[in-house]
Amino acid sequence: MTRRKPYKTNAGKGPSIWRSLEEKDLSQEERNRRAEEEQPGGFIKDLVPSSMLVSRRAIMKGSSIAALAAGLQGCLRRPESIIYPYSKAPENLIPGIPSHFASVTARGRDALGVVVTSHDGRPTKIEGNAMFPSSLGATDVRGQLYVWDLYDPDRSKSPAKREGNALVDASSEDFDTFFSGLADKHAADQGAGLRIVAPITNSPSFRALKGKVVAKFPKAKFTTYSPVNDDNAREGARLAFGGTATPAVYDYSRAKVTLSLGSDFLASEPGSVAAARGFSTTRAITSPDQAMSRLYVVESNFSQTGSMADHRLRSSQADIEQYAKALAAGLSARGVAGLAPLAAKFKTELTADATKGLNLKWLDAVMDDLNANAGRCVVVAGSGQPPRVHALVHAINGALGNFGNTTFFGPEVDADEPTARESIEALASESGAVTTLVIIGGNPVYDAPANVDFAGLLAREGLTSVHLSDHRNETTLASNWHAPLAHELETWGDQQAMDGSIAVQQPLIAPLYGGRSAIEFMATLAGEETTTGYEIVAAQHSDDVKLNAQRLLDGGANAKEVNEASIWRRGLHSGIIAFPKGTMPTVSVAALLTAFEETEPRTPASTANLEVTFEPDNALFDGRHANNLWGLELPTPMTKIVWDNAAIMSPATRDALGLTNGQMLRLTKGERSVDVPVWPLPGHADNCITLTLGWGRTAAGRYGNGKGFDVYPLRTTDEMDFVSGVTAQALPETYNVVQTQTHDSMEGRPLAIDATLAEYKKEPEFASYRSVEPVNTPPLWKQQDYSEGYQWGMTIDLASCSGCNACVAACQAENNIPSVGKIEVERGREMHWLRLDRYFVGDDQESPQVAVQPVGCQQCEEAPCENVCPVNATVHSSEGLNDMVYNRCVGTRYCANNCPYKVRRFNYLDWQGHLDDKYAFYGDFPESRKLQFNPNVTVRMRGVMEKCTWCVQRIQEAKIAAEREYRKVRDGEIKTACSQACPSQSITFGNLNDPNSKVNKMKAVNRQYQLLAELGTRPRTTYLARIRNPNPALEGKGS
Amino acid sequence: MSSYEAPIKELGERYLLPEGTTANDVTETIARVTETKAPRGWWFLFLISLSVLGVLGGALGYLVFQGVGVWGNNAPVYWAWDITNFVWWIGIGHAGTLISAILFLFRQKWRTSINRFAEAMTVFAVLCAAMFPAIHTGRPWFDYYLFPLPNQMDMWPNFKSPLMWDVFAVNTYLLISVIFWFIGLIPDFATLRDRSKNVVRKRVYGFFALGWRGAHRHWQHYERAYLIFAGISTPLVLSVHSVVSFDFATSVVPGWHTTIFPPYFVAGAVFSGFALVTTLMLICRSVFQMQTVVTIRHLDLMNKFMLGTALLVGYAYAMEFFIAWYSSNPYEQWVFLHNRLGWGILDSNGNWGPLWWAYYAMVFCNVVVPQIFWFKRARTSVPIMFIASILINIGMWFERFVIIVTSTYQDFLPSSWGMFHPTGIDVLTYLGTFGLFFTLFLLFVRWIPMIAIAEVKGTLPGAHPDVHIEEAVVEPGAAAAPVPAE
Repeated sequence: MTRRKPYKTNAGKGPSIWRSLEEKDLSQEERNRRAEEEQPGGFIKDLVPSSMLVSRRAIMKGSSIAALAAGLQGCLRRPESIIYPYSKAPENLIPGIPSHFASVTARGRDALGVVVTSHDGRPTKIEGNAMFPSSLGATDVRGQLYVWDLYDPDRSKSPAKREGNALVDASSEDFDTFFSGLADKHAADQGAGLRIVAPITNSPSFRALKGKVVAKFPKAKFTTYSPVNDDNAREGARLAFGGTATPAVYDYSRAKVTLSLGSDFLASEPGSVAAARGFSTTRAITSPDQAMSRLYVVESNFSQTGSMADHRLRSSQADIEQYAKALAAGLSARGVAGLAPLAAKFKTELTADATKGLNLKWLDAVMDDLNANAGRCVVVAGSGQPPRVHALVHAINGALGNFGNTTFFGPEVDADEPTARESIEALASESGAVTTLVIIGGNPVYDAPANVDFAGLLAREGLTSVHLSDHRNETTLASNWHAPLAHELETWGDQQAMDGSIAVQQPLIAPLYGGRSAIEFMATLAGEETTTGYEIVAAQHSDDVKLNAQRLLDGGANAKEVNEASIWRRGLHSGIIAFPKGTMPTVSVAALLTAFEETEPRTPASTANLEVTFEPDNALFDGRHANNLWGLELPTPMTKIVWDNAAIMSPATRDALGLTNGQMLRLTKGERSVDVPVWPLPGHADNCITLTLGWGRTAAGRYGNGKGFDVYPLRTTDEMDFVSGVTAQALPETYNVVQTQTHDSMEGRPLAIDATLAEYKKEPEFASYRSVEPVNTPPLWKQQDYSEGYQWGMTIDLASCSGCNACVAACQAENNIPSVGKIEVERGREMHWLRLDRYFVGDDQESPQVAVQPVGCQQCEEAPCENVCPVNATVHSSEGLNDMVYNRCVGTRYCANNCPYKVRRFNYLDWQGHLDDKYAFYGDFPESRKLQFNPNVTVRMRGVMEKCTWCVQRIQEAKIAAEREYRKVRDGEIKTACSQACPSQSITFGNLNDPNSKVNKMKAVNRQYQLLAELGTRPRTTYLARIRNPNPALEGKGS
Repeated sequence: MSSYEAPIKELGERYLLPEGTTANDVTETIARVTETKAPRGWWFLFLISLSVLGVLGGALGYLVFQGVGVWGNNAPVYWAWDITNFVWWIGIGHAGTLISAILFLFRQKWRTSINRFAEAMTVFAVLCAAMFPAIHTGRPWFDYYLFPLPNQMDMWPNFKSPLMWDVFAVNTYLLISVIFWFIGLIPDFATLRDRSKNVVRKRVYGFFALGWRGAHRHWQHYERAYLIFAGISTPLVLSVHSVVSFDFATSVVPGWHTTIFPPYFVAGAVFSGFALVTTLMLICRSVFQMQTVVTIRHLDLMNKFMLGTALLVGYAYAMEFFIAWYSSNPYEQWVFLHNRLGWGILDSNGNWGPLWWAYYAMVFCNVVVPQIFWFKRARTSVPIMFIASILINIGMWFERFVIIVTSTYQDFLPSSWGMFHPTGIDVLTYLGTFGLFFTLFLLFVRWIPMIAIAEVKGTLPGAHPDVHIEEAVVEPGAAAAPVPAE
């Protein structure tokens, strides 16, 4: 700091100099005072505390160092780039301000409404559409992941045709010539020999075009095949309701008691997002006096739904049918009307021999509970259960009076469509008659049942095959022609959800590689005049638009404002063009009786008679997202395995088979076998194995090739869901299975705190008693003053969190978080800012309970990371955030060491450029993936620390928007990526300075506690302890 | 030097150097090393060291090019070999100052034959140590952020951070150690200058001798300066390692958050420093045939020191366990009982802490091995002390490894527990620092008097003429000894 003598005017020495008369007449004291006021630096002094003043010399020193540093920086080469302005600015596009479009994404015959965020024309992030009934504003994991697929560098970039053994690029004109030639050829023979293979669709336009194609080529046939499908549910409905395949939609928010028979309705089943929302409302109670629902689960794999259960029963998939029968019989015995004929039949079948090993006592308690809550309960069967179990469940729900209360039905679609397995079997059986095979999407060479030799079919002499696909996958490589299929975010389309609501799929970007949509190809094939997606879709829904217009007019709307164009636009804007249409079928018990006539003797699973269940992967699904970097590194919810799948079995079965973790296992049924590594999952049913589909791709792309193990070779059309009678053979090799969490026990520490409802009633403050805050010691330094402005806070409700991973994926998508590769995950270097800690709880090692706890940065008020950073790279904001300054970080990693929650992530290598391979170079990052980045979040370079910021970019965006309107940010206006994605609304974020904010209300709930409170870090993220609601009639605290 | 420093015969004290050693003998023995051709052994060692230094260069180049990920550091073990090596080297750097400064203040004359040596070792060890905080960062080219340089952003380093304190502590220590070392060297440089037979030597040594003429005034200033720097250095011996220990002690990590750390670290540092001085001295002593200057008596005293510090360190180890139990802090108990001792009974799955062997290796080397120095025969046996000193250095490396890695790999949240595996680059970096150390050290022994000529002379009987006569009377047998001439 400069120290200098007080300024003095040289009065009396030399001539007096003045600027005005007023100044001339000033007294000497006043002159000195004014001169003093104007002293150099005087004005800075008023703003800056004296301790921070820097002398001129210091500034010179600093600037010379800065000049030197700038000179050094100049040595780095920066790529040349030129910025062009728009010569014609697009409407409504303000550079830097993202726009949002409502769209929809397909889930088999269901649909999930989404809102897509677009930055300067690039879709970067997917959110749920609050207007769409199957989303209600949230998404599932795949909803978060699929934007990555758009930018997948391994997408097919041009049409291709076979020359010899290789597929070579062809021009679009070549393909168009070929494709119209194909249509002409078959126009002559009425489509004889023309077969079209397409996955299950939810698109009304596609269905309509299908009719037109068949009309044009009457002898052509459609094959509808998806490896993960709703065959059982549809067949079950047909059985129960006399031939109509109406899909059931359950409203869990109205159910007091839910029994799941092998159904993972909170995660992998269709409609899981809305189900999780409904279920969470009955679980997240805010006081012990509130009513709380109860969930019973019977299942083989330990699913996420199972982890939410109050009571969970391990059972083989095959035995679930026995439980369903016993349920019908028992409920009938308890006076539930309408099940008598079935009950009478089942009673005779359920002999002591047939029910050996089943826990019917458990079921008794469940039945009492269901009976007591008749009309206010749900029984739901899993997609993997055979059709007659689905039918029986419909009968039970009907008998319990649940129809119209908790159980609803959507409109029937594809009424005349056979099941996927019949469809593909039929194609295989008449393969000789096929001359042209048009495959629209899908990947049947990889995912067709093992007894359908699809590759053999394609290789047949004289067959012309065309594969329209987003990737050049296994099927493409076996086809004669290929054309790229556009991504959902690139094309117009329409999709119908199970409940009948329809949304228009809006394109956000022109097709990156010139692809076309399935409906456009179909229109071309059908010889339609209009083959543009928009026109097809608009024409398809003109009736819906008219209906909506009529409704508005009926509702008293101004006729001048209601016109079809505005209704259409409104439909696009809100993301819903047709609203749910319910149906209410009636159960035909007689048909059910015939369905149950044939009864095979029950053979319980054993080590020599293993039962293998096939399940879609949490992220990769049936294999279609196999090249998705985010999906590959997303930990499987229960096992926390990344980059692989494994044969999941109980530890007891592992030991009985004499295996060690990761040991290779050959599973054989007949002449089919697969080799998979073993991984134990406590709580899995004994003598059962769960295999995950979607892995082991050979033509997925650079990231997905060869990852995991292909288990389709064990799957046949007869046993699509689970297969019994499998034998296991231990192989000598051991495979390296990598998890993100290797320790499964809380070791008695109060981390993910839970209690039963009875305990909660007895001691409502139990959570804060178990996680005790320390005695207040005087602070070491001045405390932040939060009396003005904002003060952010977050709560995470463990009672409703099912650990579905949507938040983790959303965080990764929002915050440009890299995937690091299997080797690096094994080293413990995964980068997810938000992780789901999964602990096994309870003494029963074979059937433990599970506690899930999402942990991101806790934004501690006394953050241990902040005071150890030597360079002030992590500092506290005036709004209570623990900010991370990437530019300033030198990477000492001290903050991460000192973080008790271990939420900090370090860029040990240049993760954006490196994946497992440490020798990659910076230039290797694919161009297309750069388009995906969220421009509001820094892409971190190697050597810097990063962590959850509570999506500070969203906070800033909302604050700027609010300031422009001269108001405060409203409660709920800011949603962090995790809380927005969460289907069960477990994460609440808001302003603690607003007494009416939701987060303040959540903080006031007595279940609230701080993680590791005893350290005195005063985290701003607090948890709401989980409440389990076990049935007093049953022992144990439930799952 | 006054007579009270002379040995008291009645107590059985004797001169450090054998009777009859003359001042000229001392000069000749020590200066000869820098004047004659280097022995073949020196070249051999030097070339090896230089190659290992090349390995360090390669490892560091790769590190900077690729990132810290080439090491085995991960989450939750964010620090591993890097900081282990840092603390280990800085610990080794403690003996030098301790021997030079503290023993000087306590008038422990036996230090004279080893202090130069130990000071040089300190400087080189601190250089090796200082390298690690600089290269362990993710972006080493921004390390200057750690210094309080004025800048246009008005950004200061965070003075709350112990790592910041480290920067000051280590740099101060390095600076003071170098100055202290250099001051001691001035008279000896002058000796070498005066003995020079060619112009280059004369000029170079003359430059560093700063015009020393051996005048009384020079000696007076020199001794005063030396005393002042000894005074400044002494608290540094305690402060540097105390500050280094704050890196751990002020954190919240169980196993780090321990108030005993400052004295524990200082004791450990002195312990390891003495061990390395012993190791190196034993080698140099035999390579350069200095058994007459560095006698068994010196070594005996060194070993006693090691025994004492070993007991202190052992006490600290025990006290950590006591506090872990006494605090009834479950996280701390877990770290000590499971992560360090390895007790599997604590784990719900019965798994042993996988790094238990590091703890037992540490206890064996640091507590069990030094107990042999209770026996005089062991204290005076060159092979035994050589092996023991090496084991102690290994043990002290493990001590730092145990503190850093076994505390962090399983801390608060079991979900985040991990494991640490070093990579080849970890090993090469550590190995490479020996290249740096020994290259510097070998250059030192070749070109700088490795023993303080002037100070050793001060311990000769000739430096105490007033007692010399008495001695002659008491010990008639020694009457024939030649009178040392200065």
